[in-house]
Amino acid sequence: MTLEMVQASQAGMKALGAGLAVGLTGIGAGVAEMAIGSAAVGATAENKDVFGLVLLLTVIPETIVIFGLVVGLLLLF
Amino acid sequence: MLKPEQMSRLLIVATRDQMGPVVAELYYHNLFHIEDYVEAKAEGYEGFKIGTPLAGASEVSNALVKIRAIQNAIAVHADDLEPVTKCPRTELKLKIERELPILEKEVEELTIRRSKLDTRVKELEQKIAEIKPFVNIPVDLDLYRGYSGFSVFAGYVAREVTLTVPYEMYFSKGKEKNFVVVVAPANQRSEVERALQESAYQAVPIPEESGMPQPRIDYYSGQISSITGEIAEINRDLIVVREKHAGFLVACEEFLMTEVEQTEAPLRFATTKETFVAEGWVPTHQFDTVSNALVNATGGKIFVTVLPTDLEHDIVPVEYDNPSFARPAQMLMDVYSRPKYTELDPTLVLSIVFPIFFGLILGDVGYGLMLLVMCFGLRAFLKGEETAQLLAVLRNASISSIIFGLLYSEFLGFALPWKPIMFSRHLKIGGGEAGGHGPAIPELMMMAIWIGILHITLGRIFGMINHSRQDHGDHRIKAVMANFGWLAVMWGILIVIWTIAAMPLMPDLTTLPKVAMGINIAAIVGGVMLVVGVLLIARDSALEIVELPTIISHVLSYARIVAVGLSSVAIAMVVNFIAIGMLITPQLENITIIGVLFIIMGVAVFLIGHALNMALGILGGGLHSIRLHYVEFFTKFYKGGGKKYNPFGMKRRFTED
Repeated sequence: MTLEMVQASQAGMKALGAGLAVGLTGIGAGVAEMAIGSAAVGATAENKDVFGLVLLLTVIPETIVIFGLVVGLLLLF
Repeated sequence: MLKPEQMSRLLIVATRDQMGPVVAELYYHNLFHIEDYVEAKAEGYEGFKIGTPLAGASEVSNALVKIRAIQNAIAVHADDLEPVTKCPRTELKLKIERELPILEKEVEELTIRRSKLDTRVKELEQKIAEIKPFVNIPVDLDLYRGYSGFSVFAGYVAREVTLTVPYEMYFSKGKEKNFVVVVAPANQRSEVERALQESAYQAVPIPEESGMPQPRIDYYSGQISSITGEIAEINRDLIVVREKHAGFLVACEEFLMTEVEQTEAPLRFATTKETFVAEGWVPTHQFDTVSNALVNATGGKIFVTVLPTDLEHDIVPVEYDNPSFARPAQMLMDVYSRPKYTELDPTLVLSIVFPIFFGLILGDVGYGLMLLVMCFGLRAFLKGEETAQLLAVLRNASISSIIFGLLYSEFLGFALPWKPIMFSRHLKIGGGEAGGHGPAIPELMMMAIWIGILHITLGRIFGMINHSRQDHGDHRIKAVMANFGWLAVMWGILIVIWTIAAMPLMPDLTTLPKVAMGINIAAIVGGVMLVVGVLLIARDSALEIVELPTIISHVLSYARIVAVGLSSVAIAMVVNFIAIGMLITPQLENITIIGVLFIIMGVAVFLIGHALNMALGILGGGLHSIRLHYVEFFTKFYKGGGKKYNPFGMKRRFTED
C-alpha cells in the first residue's frame, strides 16, 4: 500500500464520515420532529394563536442536524 | 418606529338622544376602538345597563340576510369584485326599497325551480338504478307481478342455482355477481328460498314498471337529459342576473352592513335611562379629530375626555406604527403574534434583516429576476391586503437576492463574468465548470456565525429594554442583568475560543502573552465573563442554567444560511451539468436526429430542474430566514400576544355618502 493510497482512503473516510454525520442526524431530527409537527398542526387548527409557540417546539430537534452539519463541514474543510 | 402607535383611552358621555349622531360620527372616522361594556365587572358603573340597538336594527338585519341569500344563490362575493363606481347611500336606500324585493323574488323563483328539477333528476336516476339489473332478461317488466299461484324471486347470487321444484329461471352471468330471476309455485316458496340461500342470494326489489327494461331506461335517460337542459338554462339565467346586479348587490351588502354595525353599536355601550357612556381607544395624535367631530355633530351636547392609561392593567389595542417600506413585514409579525403595547415592535428590524437573509441564501441573479417577475405577475391576479403584503415581502426578498447574486457572481448556477465579490459559493461540479478555487466554506461559515452573534446580541439588547420597561421593582434589575448575563456568557465563550484557535474572519488571540499555566490574558477575561454571566442568569432564575447550551446551538443555527444556500447552488450546478454538459454539448459537435432528441431532453431537464430549484429556493430561503427570526431572534426578547386595534368603522369600497 503506497502513501497515496493511504491518503486517498483517508479522504474517502472523511467524506463518508461527513455524509453519515449529516444523514444520520437528519434522520434523527426528522423522527423527533414527526410527532411534534403533527401535534403542532393539530393545535394550530384548533387555535391559530399558538402558531408561534408550536413553531418553536417543532424546530427544537433541528439543533441535532445543525450539529451534524457543523461536524460534517469541519471534517471536510 | 420600534414602538406601536400611541393610544389614548377615551371616555364619551352624552344623553341618549345623541346616540345616533355620535355612533354615525365614530363610524365615519373609523378610529375609535370600542371597549365592550360588560355588566359583570362594572366598577364605577353601578346602575348602568348594556344599551339597546338603535331604531330600525331588525329591518336592516333582515334585509342583509336576504341580500346574503341572493349572493349565495348566484355566487357573488365582494372580495372578487373590483369597485367600479361608488354608489351614493341615499340612492342605494331607495333602490333597496324598490328593487330588492323584485330581485329577491326573481332569484328565489329560479332557485326553487332549480332545486325541484334537481330532485326530479335524482328520482329518475333512482328508477334507472332499479331497472338496471333486469336489462339482460328478455321479459316485460309487467310480467313480474300479479300472480296468485306463483312467487317471483329476483336477486344476485354467487353461483348457479339448482332447484328440485318445478320452476322457470332466467340467469344472467355478470362479472362479479350473477343476476337470477326465478318463478316457482307459491306453495313451494320456502324450498326455493332455501335453495337460493345456499347460493348466497341477495334479493333485489322488483320495479313498479311496465314494458321492456332497456326502452324504459332509455325513456328515463331522455327525461333526465331534457331536465338537465332546463337546469342549465336556469343557471344561465342566474348568471345573467349576476352580471346585471352583482355591483348593486355588493353595494347593498356593504351599505346594510354599515347600517347593522351602527344600529347595534349601543350593545357595546353602558347606558342609563337618559344617558350613555362609551369607552375606547383612539390613536393619541387623532384625539383632537375625533373629539372635535363629536362636539360638532352633537352641537356641544357631549362630554369627551382622555382617561389616564394604566399600563399594568389596561389591555391597550396595538396598531403598528412603521415607515412605509417596513409595513409588508407586519404580516410576518401577525403570523407569529402581534406585539404587546409595552413591548418593542421588531417589525422594522424584521423588514430589513429578512430580505438580507433571503438574499444570502438564494443569492442568484437568475432566480431573483424570475421571482421578481413572478411577484409583479401575481399581483395582477391575486387580491386581498394580506396577499399584497406577502408579495411585497417577496419582492424585497427577490431584489435582495439579485444584489447578493451579483456579489456571489451567480446566474442560474453559472458564474457571471466576474470573480465573486463576496466569498465564492461556486462548487466544483462537472469538472469545475464554474472555475475558480471552489467554495470558500470556512469564510462563509464564519460569516454566518458572525451574523448569528450580532443578531442574537441585538435580540438580547432588545430583551434588556423590554424587561426594563415591563418589569417592576426588584425583578426588573434582575431580569435586565440576566439578559446581560446571557450576552456575557456568549461573548466570553467566543473570546475563549479565539484564544484557542485562529480562524478566518475572527480576531486571533492565540499570540497574546501567556500569563499562567499556558493561559493568556484574553482567556482569563473570557472565563471571567462566562462565570459572571452564569451567576447573573442564575440570580434571576436558577432553572435557566439548563438552557445554557442553546447559546451554542442558536449561534450555530445560523450556519443554515450557508448550508441551505450551498445546497441550492449545488442543485443548480448539477442541473446545468446534466442538461448542458452531458446532454446538449456532446450532441452539438455532430448533429444527428437522435442527437436532436437528446438536445430537446437537455432543454427539458434544464427548465424543469431550474423551476424545481427555484421553488425549493423560495421555500428554503423564506422559511429558514423567517425561522431564524421567530426562533433564534424573538425568543430573546419577544412575547407578543397584543390585542389587535380594530376601530369601529369600515373601509368603504362600493358606497359613498
